[in-house]
Amino acid sequence: MKELAEKPFALIGVHGNGYEPKKLKEVMTKEKLNWRSFADNGAIFQKWSARGTPVYYVVDHQGVIRHKWLGYPGAKGIDTALEKLIKEAEGKTQNTSK
Amino acid sequence: MTRLLPACILAICAGLVAAAQDSSADKPGTPSEQYQALQKEFFTASRIIWQETTEEERRLAVARVDKIPSKLLSLAQNNPKDPIALDALIQVVTIEYWLNTHTSHPGWGKDSPQAEAIALMLRDHLDSDKLGEACKRVHYGFRQECETFLRTVLEKNPHREVQALACLRLAQFLLSRMERLDLLMDQPELARRYQGLYGNDYLESLRRQDRAKVTQDAEALYERASKAYSEVKIPYGGTVGETARTELFEIRHLAVGKQAPDMEGMDQNSQQLKLSDYRGKVVLLYFWSEF
Repeated sequence: MKELAEKPFALIGVHGNGYEPKKLKEVMTKEKLNWRSFADNGAIFQKWSARGTPVYYVVDHQGVIRHKWLGYPGAKGIDTALEKLIKEAEGKTQNTSK
Repeated sequence: MTRLLPACILAICAGLVAAAQDSSADKPGTPSEQYQALQKEFFTASRIIWQETTEEERRLAVARVDKIPSKLLSLAQNNPKDPIALDALIQVVTIEYWLNTHTSHPGWGKDSPQAEAIALMLRDHLDSDKLGEACKRVHYGFRQECETFLRTVLEKNPHREVQALACLRLAQFLLSRMERLDLLMDQPELARRYQGLYGNDYLESLRRQDRAKVTQDAEALYERASKAYSEVKIPYGGTVGETARTELFEIRHLAVGKQAPDMEGMDQNSQQLKLSDYRGKVVLLYFWSEF
């Protein structure tokens, strides 16, 4: 994930145990998780039909859902998908700056 | 050739097991007793699959389960007026699904017990007020007969509660069949399994179906379920209306290719977090929890 720091990319968690932010913070600090995560009380899980975990959605730079995985698709599956979409996003940035 | 070998072994094992059991299990009792005995046999044999057993033990267990559908079918055919007949047919549907999903049973091709059970349900039980459970079990299936069953029940069963469940389950069946077909593209092993179970012609015909039309069809069924049958209860969970509206939202707003709905709330630092603030970036949304 480190090499993605400079890229147009963000990992956002949606945590579903119903913890208050403070308790979620404790968990994430303990596990050394440094990305932002919603502390969801169930509303986001319900709206997004996440009936179990893990569930992954990949949203592209235009806000369009491009992938949806119910269950872990493997590191390679995630990496390949992200690389392709990040290139698309970078291509767009370059085009607009020209 | 690769399919024939396991089939042969299966047939031999099935024969041995049948010889050992016929004397006790087939003593004719009442239809209900016969049904209970077959249920017990299924639960005993199917439990072995989950235990840490050898390949050989698992194969024997599959061979035991393989014998059950034809017995259930005979039970239903011999007692078409007995309420247990419908239970037996529903169980046939379930057992074939179970074998297809959890074991390497080679399937029955055109002689599918599931297809025959569905035909018998349509012939002998189409007016039954107990078809809701049948709709549920059938909708897990993949065959064309499953679609035919759900459509026929929706149009011809006289009970509103049953129609409601048929309507919802048909929408779910159409979408999940399309999704499963997509999965086969990335999974050659699963694709071969489906070819063996359902035949290449059927898979090809499904690949030719118009995706947009299937989705529209499912949407229309969800709309109908939501409007005409909203308050009907689904056994063990919610109402038909709630479920239909949730799933309609999924296909309209949460499917690949759709604009993601916005997401807003607090993060772990009690800071406001909003998905749309990340426009311009690729976002991996990770739904997680602790156990």
